[in-house]
Amino acid sequence: MSEGSHRLSPAFKSALGIFARYATIIGLILMIVVFSFLSPKAFPTYGNFINVLNQASLAMIIAGGLTLAVVVGELDLSIGYAASLHGVVVTGLIVKNQLPIPVAIAIVLALGALVGVINGLIVTKLRVNSVIATLGVGTIIVGVAFAYSAGVPIVAGVPEEFLQLALGRWLFGIPNPIIVMALVVGALWVLVERTAIGQEIQAVGGNPAAARLAGISVDRIKILGFVISGMCAGLTGTLLASRLGSGTTSAADSYLLTAFAAVFLGSATLRDGEFHVLGTFIGTLIIVFGFNGLNIFGAPTFSQYVFQGAILIVAVGLSSLGRMLAES
Amino acid sequence: MNAFAGQRETPASSPFVSATGIRKTYGGVQALKGVSLSIEPGEAHGLVGANGAGKSTLIRVLAGLTQPDEGDIVVDGRRTDVSTPHVANDLGMSFIHQELAFVPGMTVLQNIMLGLPKRTHFGIVDWRQIARDVEPIARRVGVSAPLDANVKRLSTAENWLISITRALIRKARLIVMDEPTAALSAAESEKLFAIIRDLRQSGVAVLYVSHRLDEILELCQGVTVFRDGNSVAELAGAGLTRQRLVREIVGGAIETSQRKAASHLDGEVVLSARGLSRSPKVREVSFDLKRGEVLGLGGLVGAGRSELARLLFGADRPDSGAMTLEKKPFAPRSPAAAVNAGFGFVPEERRAEGLVLTKSLAFNLSLANLGSIVYGPFMPLVSGRRRKALAERAVRDLAIKTAGVDIPVGQLSGGNQQKVVIGRWLQSRPKILILDEPTRGVDVGARAEIHRLIRSLTERGMAVLVISSEPDELPDLCDRVLVMAEGRIVCELEGDQVTRHAIISASYAEAGKREGA
Repeated sequence: MSEGSHRLSPAFKSALGIFARYATIIGLILMIVVFSFLSPKAFPTYGNFINVLNQASLAMIIAGGLTLAVVVGELDLSIGYAASLHGVVVTGLIVKNQLPIPVAIAIVLALGALVGVINGLIVTKLRVNSVIATLGVGTIIVGVAFAYSAGVPIVAGVPEEFLQLALGRWLFGIPNPIIVMALVVGALWVLVERTAIGQEIQAVGGNPAAARLAGISVDRIKILGFVISGMCAGLTGTLLASRLGSGTTSAADSYLLTAFAAVFLGSATLRDGEFHVLGTFIGTLIIVFGFNGLNIFGAPTFSQYVFQGAILIVAVGLSSLGRMLAES
Repeated sequence: MNAFAGQRETPASSPFVSATGIRKTYGGVQALKGVSLSIEPGEAHGLVGANGAGKSTLIRVLAGLTQPDEGDIVVDGRRTDVSTPHVANDLGMSFIHQELAFVPGMTVLQNIMLGLPKRTHFGIVDWRQIARDVEPIARRVGVSAPLDANVKRLSTAENWLISITRALIRKARLIVMDEPTAALSAAESEKLFAIIRDLRQSGVAVLYVSHRLDEILELCQGVTVFRDGNSVAELAGAGLTRQRLVREIVGGAIETSQRKAASHLDGEVVLSARGLSRSPKVREVSFDLKRGEVLGLGGLVGAGRSELARLLFGADRPDSGAMTLEKKPFAPRSPAAAVNAGFGFVPEERRAEGLVLTKSLAFNLSLANLGSIVYGPFMPLVSGRRRKALAERAVRDLAIKTAGVDIPVGQLSGGNQQKVVIGRWLQSRPKILILDEPTRGVDVGARAEIHRLIRSLTERGMAVLVISSEPDELPDLCDRVLVMAEGRIVCELEGDQVTRHAIISASYAEAGKREGA
């Protein structure tokens, strides 16, 4: 309401708005087209696309969970470390404790939910800023993972059935992680966009004060966001351990950055800076296609870091641009 | 009138500041309709008026925080544009607001010098020399804290003295004080008055903005009264009496009444509060709210009305006291608990606390009614059709002007946004609806519609509690009005007693009486 603030012309504003909303999708299509021209043999093939989706699936699951945390208005920095821990624990339970695979997975998902509850309680009851809270919890988790595995990867004795979880193609010859991802994305989308609790989730993220005065239990909804984020980290950790055939501390740490970039890219997609599940899906595809292209062209390793860092900044920039336009 | 020692000579008879014909319109609402105000050097000048009369807007204009649409400001005989706060400062005007603006982690001295050029040696600030310069002024004003103390630990009274020191260091010739005694004890207030008198002796003028008429009468040589964006009176000398002030503040508005027959006043009690207190804003409040009535809460801004509403709605917990809802004990632990028990709440800040602005009308309207738009209790999926039907029904019933139920609610006008917040509670049919400033910033037409809507709710047996600071709103709307002052209910008005005059004079009379209590 400062009188001094200059106003953008409406035409320019709406053009900018359209650019902000569709920039990510246009970017994704452009990337696919350019890669296809540059590498017509290797890139635009069914095999490569399935491969990209397969790579995207673990990132998408963890990013989908993170989306729930950011939709309720918080950040969850513990997911990467937590996924690493979960990978170690699930292999440990199977190899060392000889637990049946489904039981081991169920325990790990419960562990993921527990991490979410802890994050949620710290943020809502102790009123610790979520960045600090989840950074702290994440660091403790790193310690727990080292304590559990003594820093030694669990490689020997991983049963073939567990490896098949990520490597198998049980339905229509499609890799299992893609199926799991589709189920998770579908479930999260329905939860946020179509259920009554999803309306409360969106309201809490949109305006916590208004949600509270409308009779919504803001704290419970925020904890729920963290729980879903934690469980998705558990799932990604499990699938990664299965894919690698080992439980390795810090194996999943880098998913944190990918997930954040995907979530912020997603918030700039179709909606004005609002986090949503479908957007996160598109954001993940952009990042994974980008990596895939860089790999195919044999780009040096450093360029992958540059790409990932740059895309995170671009993503957050687009996201806040969208929000600025929606508010002005 | 004293001439200011050591300043360039100003004819003693000419005002230091005079503003004439100031007009200011905010989004279609005329906040100032051509007000004038003139302050002599070394004068303590009072500015009074009911809530929304335009006092704050004029202060913002003088402070350079907002630009008037029309009108002249003359300082020291020269016409000036106060385009920024910096200009106001250079002209010798300092402003002390109710919420004092200090940097909490810094010392008294650092806060006094904030934003001023400081004496340095080779780029290093010479705090010792600055302290030697500031010390005598601070002591004269009565600052007792050491200059190197952290401001965080100091009392409100001490903070006021520091603010005055800060103004004097800036060579202020006019200090504007907005409700200075609101948070001060009687003894602290007396001390402040002594300092104001001392300031006058040295030629510094004070513009004293307050609801406390006794203080105004004690301190001020001249008083300007604002009413509805106009300056309606300038009083001085023998014409300056308490009665006259109240009469000018209230004005001679025609009393309109659409109140219902008194039978509604005998409805059964829905909510009963006994001795509710929450320090420092709510003290020993007891009242009954009856089925089918519109109960108003009147009083000045800061009288504790919104704070009381927050206790009823479970947003805050009382320190002591109890409530019963339909004869059963009621102690909501959260707004969610209150909603479950049959409450609805329309908050004062509709944009900040009432709406999710980026979401659609349908989203916002259905927020308190999610149970009614899902397919079923065991199928908690939201039915788009039901949600749309609910939203369209509300749009029709409330005559909300919108291009559709899917557009973001942030794009609607203020009045229509308010209807959305109210509309949220129409479907869930609460037993008790609390509305805090339901028509603030709403145009006349929408205001009448909102009033009609509130009345129609009571016909279905709902009990409504309305908080309003607009002088005409409660008489229009309420069967019964409780007037609050300083956290207490000081007066109950019923039926024909509910007039604008009665509400305002009760607010002021009690504010005066409680002073120093």
